[in-house]
Amino acid sequence: MAPKYKFTYFKASVGRGELVRLIFAAAGVEFEDVRLEREEWRLLKETSPMGQLPMLEVGGQVICQSGAIFRYAAKETGLSGAAGWEEAQVDMFVSGMEDLTMKMYGVYFERDEAKKEEKKTALATFVPNFLRNYEKLCGSDGHLVGTSLTYADLAFFNGMDDILKKQPDALEKYPRLAKVVESVKANKGVATYIAERPETLL
Amino acid sequence: MAPKYKLTYFDVRSRGEPTRLIFAAAGVEYEDVRLSFEQWPPIKPTTPMGGLPMLEVDGKTLSQSMSIARFVAKETGLDGKNNLERALADAFVDEIHEPLAAKIPTLLAFTTDEKAKEDLAKEVDQLIAEKLGKCERNSGSVGHLVGNSLLWCDLVFYNIASYIEAYKPGTLQNYPKLAKVYATVKANPRIAKWLERPAGQYGV
Repeated sequence: MAPKYKFTYFKASVGRGELVRLIFAAAGVEFEDVRLEREEWRLLKETSPMGQLPMLEVGGQVICQSGAIFRYAAKETGLSGAAGWEEAQVDMFVSGMEDLTMKMYGVYFERDEAKKEEKKTALATFVPNFLRNYEKLCGSDGHLVGTSLTYADLAFFNGMDDILKKQPDALEKYPRLAKVVESVKANKGVATYIAERPETLL
Repeated sequence: MAPKYKLTYFDVRSRGEPTRLIFAAAGVEYEDVRLSFEQWPPIKPTTPMGGLPMLEVDGKTLSQSMSIARFVAKETGLDGKNNLERALADAFVDEIHEPLAAKIPTLLAFTTDEKAKEDLAKEVDQLIAEKLGKCERNSGSVGHLVGNSLLWCDLVFYNIASYIEAYKPGTLQNYPKLAKVYATVKANPRIAKWLERPAGQYGV
């Protein structure tokens, strides 16, 4: 029987698609993982609901907007945290990660050299403050919220992936956050997925 | 005893108003704390993530405007009937709220330099056309973006739409389904009452 969920995004490994894939992987839930080349997307774009990716198809309906998708996927797979306050906290951490990722993309995609340097400097100030806040709010047993894996942990891991590749000791001063990254890496589904995923430029 | 909610934001609509609209639509009381920009610096380090809005509930604090709005929507039953409806509502919120929630009031009230104003207006015009186009394409046709009853996405949309109408009156006429959503929200008795309040000290 075909998987219930069909996820379509670009081939890029990081970025907005990857968190969705990590959620399904961590939960051990099968999904159709469609990865498009830019050219293939160009042909599909006009007929798609919002003219953008990623999109998730389920039961004949289409959901767009990465935030809506990963929130939905997390709920469907039980990785959104206990309903009510815990769920809101998970949401909060994930939204906060968006701030970090947007700044990182800002640097990566900036063509103008002078502006790029400016943005790099701004990022260098932003990141320690950001991590300090998160460390303060983070739980102490390897999870940002609660006592078991939520997609906040996956979002943090995904967001930090790039930073940690360049600076493996980036979380040295943030033991709780470092523990979160370890917990995620230790998840069987995530470990398998990461070992097998294609390496890409971005 | 019902939970006590305290919302803290600046005395503007922008990122705080969606939550205020949700409380209003649900008829749920809350403390609506509004700061002037001068009051902000000493308060900043006491907030979870160094930003506003924040929501305090039973001694705990939540940050991130849409996490707050989503939480209040859930608490008041305005988030959607099932996971799929909630996701569709989320998609509209993600599309329409940022970055216009801050860019339009900045354009209307907080940019004085002529060149900066011109550049920002160009950017805002492009965002409005793009986002209203997408939302119109996907909106329901009975006065609600999703489903057939008021959800928080209608209120998040209303907040942006009212800024758009303040900036360029008549824009919504080109988007009939969205115009219907706008009218439906405005006509909601609790929202209508809320909208009678005078504007905040900055006028946006």
